Amino acid sequence: MKLAFILICLTAAVGFLKAQQPVVSPVESLSAVKPATDGKVWGALVYATNDIKGLSGSTEVAPADFADIPRRLGKVFPYQRFEILGQHLQDVFREYESWVVPTKDLFLKVDSKGPADGGGMNLHLQFWRDQQVLVKTDAVLKEGSPLFIGGPKWREGRLLFVLVLQNSR
Amino acid sequence: MKTPSEDHDLIRFLDGEMSNTERASFEARMAADSMLNSEVNMMQRMSADLRTHLPAEMPVPYADFFNSQIQVRIAQEVPVTLPAARSLWFDWLRIPTLATAAAAVAIGGFMIVQNQNQPAGNSIVHSIYVPNPSVQARSFHSDEAQAMVLILDGVEAMPSDRQMVSFHIQRTETDQEMATTTLFDVSGQVVAVVAKDSRNQPRLLSATPRG
Amino acid sequence: MPAFTAPESGEVSDSDLVKRCQAGDTHAFDALVNRYRGKVYAMTYHMIQNETEAWDLAQEAFIKAWRAMPNFKLDSAFYTWLYRITHNVTYDWLRKKKIQGDGEFDDSHTDHRVAAGAEAVARHEPAPDTALKNAELGARIREAIAKLSPEHKQVILLREVEGLAYEEIAEIIPCTLGTVMSRLFYARKKLQEMLKDTYENAF
Repeated sequence: MKLAFILICLTAAVGFLKAQQPVVSPVESLSAVKPATDGKVWGALVYATNDIKGLSGSTEVAPADFADIPRRLGKVFPYQRFEILGQHLQDVFREYESWVVPTKDLFLKVDSKGPADGGGMNLHLQFWRDQQVLVKTDAVLKEGSPLFIGGPKWREGRLLFVLVLQNSR
Repeated sequence: MKTPSEDHDLIRFLDGEMSNTERASFEARMAADSMLNSEVNMMQRMSADLRTHLPAEMPVPYADFFNSQIQVRIAQEVPVTLPAARSLWFDWLRIPTLATAAAAVAIGGFMIVQNQNQPAGNSIVHSIYVPNPSVQARSFHSDEAQAMVLILDGVEAMPSDRQMVSFHIQRTETDQEMATTTLFDVSGQVVAVVAKDSRNQPRLLSATPRG
Repeated sequence: MPAFTAPESGEVSDSDLVKRCQAGDTHAFDALVNRYRGKVYAMTYHMIQNETEAWDLAQEAFIKAWRAMPNFKLDSAFYTWLYRITHNVTYDWLRKKKIQGDGEFDDSHTDHRVAAGAEAVARHEPAPDTALKNAELGARIREAIAKLSPEHKQVILLREVEGLAYEEIAEIIPCTLGTVMSRLFYARKKLQEMLKDTYENAF
C-alpha cells in the first residue's frame, strides 16, 4: 500500500513538471529493452570528519570491490573518519544520460563519450547540488583509479563524492 | 507581364517596407484589381503560417553539453589567461600534501588541465568548468591515494541542521519518453525520481527520507 | 516582430560581453552562447532540417565567432554579426552537400518528417480536426521550405522567422536590396505553388 501511495505521489509530481504530457505510471511506461551500456560506476557520498560524536550513524558499507576507498580518501583529505552516507551502483548508458544519486542533495549526471584508449571510459560529468550545477568536467575514468570530489563543508567536516569505475572482469 | 519593380512592390507592401504614400497607392491598386488583391491576401496568410510553424528559437538538444563542447574547443585554440590579480593560484601548488603530478585551477570559468606524464592507468580530468564565479576548482592526481582529485572551494556549506537524505540505490529505470529516471533501493522500493523541469533542468523528487 | 531582443535591465549587454570576450574571458562567451544558441540552432535547423547536423553547425558558428571576435568592431549588433557567421557556415555546408532546389531533394527524409508531424498529434488524445490540419500544414511547410534552394531558403527564413529588415538581410548575405526583394518574391511564389493543394484542401 505504501509503495502504491509513493508511486501516486511521485507520479503526480512528475505530471506537474511535465504538464503537457499525460500522466503515466513510471513502472507501466518502461521499455522492456535495456539500452546499451559502456560499464558500471559506483558513486558514494562520504562524510569526512574528525568529530566522532558527529557521525550520522549511517550503516552503509562499501561493496568489497571498493572497501579500500575510505583509506584512500584519508591520503588526500585531512580527516580521521569517512562515513559512507549513500551509495549507488549504476550502469553508464552509451546514448543516454545516467544519474548517480547516493543522496538527494548532491548527485552526478554522467554522459558517456565512449570507451577510452587503453581501457576506461570517456565521460562528461556534472556535479549537481539541488538545482544548481557546481562543476562540469570532461574526464577519463579508469578501473582502479577513482575520482574524488571535495564538496561543500557540512557540520564538523566535509562532504566528498566518490566515483569509481567497476572492474569489468 | 509584370515588371520586376511590380513584383518588388508586392513584396515591399507585404513586408511593410513602403512609405505611407506608396502604401496608399498600392492599396488603391488592390481595390481596383481583384487578382492582385487575392494574391496579396494569399501571401499574407502564407507568411503568417510560415511564422507560426518555423519558430525563431528552438531548444538545443543536450544544451549543457553544447556549451561545454564549445568551451573545450575554444580553450584548445587560445590559452586561457587569468587576470593578473588572480595569480595567487601558483601558491596553492606549493602545499606539501598535494602530489606533484598534473595540477590546474579553474576560477569561476573554464580551464583545460595539462596532463603531463600521466601513467596509462590513471584517471584523468581534461577540463573543468565552474559556472559560479565565487567557486574555485582545482584538480590534481594523488599518487598516494592512486586517485584523481577535484577540489571545490568557495562552495556554500550545507546547513548543519540539514539531514542528508541518502539512498542505497540498487537499480534505476529510465523512461526516455518522459525523460524521467526512477531510482530503486536494495529492497526494491522507489526512493526517488529524477525528472526535468520546463527548462530541462533536473529535479530530484525523493519519496521516503532516510538518515 | 523585433529582430533583436534588448537585454533585460540588470543583464549585461552584448557589447559588454563582447569586450570581455575580446579580453579572453571565456565565461563571458558562455553567456553569449546561452543567450543566442536557441536562435542559432533554429536557424541552422530550418536550413538543413537535420537535428544532428544542425547541432554541429550551430557549434561551428559559435567557434568561428570566437575566433573572429578580436576583429569584431561592434559596428553592428552582435546578433547580426553572429547571424552572418551562422549563415555562412550553413550556406557553405549546403553547397558542399549540393542540395539544390527541385531536383535532388531526399524524399525519404521528407516522408519521415510528415509522418512524425501526424504522429505527434495522434499519440496523446483524439485530435480535433483543426489540430490535425495544423500539424499537417506545419509538416507541409517544412517540406516545402526544404525544397527551396539555399539562397531562397535563406531569405525566407531571415525575413519570416527572424523578422529582419531588407537592409539587414542584404548585410548578412551579403547582396543588394534588389536581390533580397527578387529572391523573396521568387521564394514566396514557389512556396505558394508547393502549398497550393494544402491550402485548397484544408481550408
